[in-house]
Amino acid sequence: MSAAPSPGESARRDALVQMYHVSKSYLPGTFALRDVTLEVAKGEFVFLTGPSGAGKTTLLKLLFAAEKPSEGQIILRGRNIARLRDSAIPGLRRRIGVVFQDFKLLANRTVEENVAVTLEVLGRPPREVRRRVFALLKQVGLQHRRHHFPLSLSGGEQQRVALARALAGEPELLLADEPTGNLDPELTLEIMDLIAHASVRGTTVIVATHDLPTVDRYGKRTLHLEAGRIKEDRAAVGVRP
Amino acid sequence: MSRAGAHLRYFARTSLRGLRASPVTAAVGISTIGIALVLVGAFSLLLTNMEGLLDRFGDDLRVTAYLESGLPVAERAALARRVATIEGVLEVDVVSEDEALARFREGVGRASGLLAELEENPLPASLEITLAERRRTPEGMRVVVESLDGLPGVSDLAYGQEWVEGYARAVALVRGIGAGVGLVLALATLAIVANTIRLAVYARRDELEILSLVGASRPFAATPFLVEGALQGAVGGALAVVILYGLFRLILPEIEAGLSMLLGFAEPRFLTPGGVLRLIGAGAGLGLAGSAAAVFQGLRA
Repeated sequence: MSAAPSPGESARRDALVQMYHVSKSYLPGTFALRDVTLEVAKGEFVFLTGPSGAGKTTLLKLLFAAEKPSEGQIILRGRNIARLRDSAIPGLRRRIGVVFQDFKLLANRTVEENVAVTLEVLGRPPREVRRRVFALLKQVGLQHRRHHFPLSLSGGEQQRVALARALAGEPELLLADEPTGNLDPELTLEIMDLIAHASVRGTTVIVATHDLPTVDRYGKRTLHLEAGRIKEDRAAVGVRP
Repeated sequence: MSRAGAHLRYFARTSLRGLRASPVTAAVGISTIGIALVLVGAFSLLLTNMEGLLDRFGDDLRVTAYLESGLPVAERAALARRVATIEGVLEVDVVSEDEALARFREGVGRASGLLAELEENPLPASLEITLAERRRTPEGMRVVVESLDGLPGVSDLAYGQEWVEGYARAVALVRGIGAGVGLVLALATLAIVANTIRLAVYARRDELEILSLVGASRPFAATPFLVEGALQGAVGGALAVVILYGLFRLILPEIEAGLSMLLGFAEPRFLTPGGVLRLIGAGAGLGLAGSAAAVFQGLRA
């Protein structure tokens, strides 16, 4: 768990994500991310913190290949995704779950259908889809709301649906971009507990947030970004840096 | 159920849901394709009838070789046998002067009384030459006529070549205009359909974004939109057939006189079942191409 590992160290520590000297520039002369080097081990839970514009969202977008880095290498499960062909992106995303602040649910589909879409893309048989969707909704406490439409749900419930959809494909990596940004403190805890639970089950989790009380409450590893650079890599509570 | 089967089920369900979710957009797409195909179909109908007339005219196509006056009967028969051996000739009938007059009398009907004033029969004997089917074209007829020209005993040749050639040119012209207009209409329809479906894609861009996020490939995300486009197009094509048939039945009595000048006395025919299927297929193709243009642009965006 360090911000600047050598490739040899990474292999030893069973890293899932490795970034080497990654920069991202949207406009010439300005950088959303600058010379970021970091490593996240399998099963690890990491918070990305920093003020707005620090580069948290850009870092997550690079990981699910919504953007390509301007410089540097991004290794996910030993594969350099910085040079991924467009046709290979869907395959990468099937192993990654993503949760957003604005939920990104389909308003004209029921809760059940929103969660099922991940499994349908994977080509799972209808019976398995139904069984798995029910289990996921039960896990997030929404099985009784499965036939409702997203807009009839509270913000916390909608985010739980989004989380169930992200976890449906049993991803190795869960990325959450301000997942509690629209929620009150009580619902924030509810969602963060579910995300932490996914981590306990072996999923590697990276959560971008500027909600510092929540970060402190969970005591997980925290990467603090400022102006596109990692300013601090704080180890999880009880873990030696 | 296999992975492919699960995907097919998903495509069918999602396409139908898409059509149900935006009935107004679907109706606009269907109407656009339907109206454009009415114009294409009307040209097709005109062409079918003109070509049909040419076919029917060809069945009656004959060359008449008028014989020199006083040619003995035996020589007439010998000449008929010789003509029958010419490549492209199917059958030769000898028509005597008397038979020619009898046919003429029958042809003029009540006015035939005037012919009683004639002191002698002015009509010559002739050979009526039926052409083989492959020669029933302006070009084929010319080849046969060239072989007949100058045969001893033949004084003159009569055939409707100029009319046939003129008609064939008219058909070619209409076919050319039809192809040009059809192409312009198809491109215009394609642009309109693509724009109509682009609106639908824009309205559902969140769906494309979410599918992309959960790892759907572009073809997977695009397929329901393509199925929707093809379905709308096929329904538009069927609508065009219904409108055309209605117009055909409603307008036909009003323009029958004009049509008879154009088509002769042949009865106007509606599209064949194959023509109907082609029109529906053209609609499906237009819808598919229009949605492909819109959805892949939407996915790139």
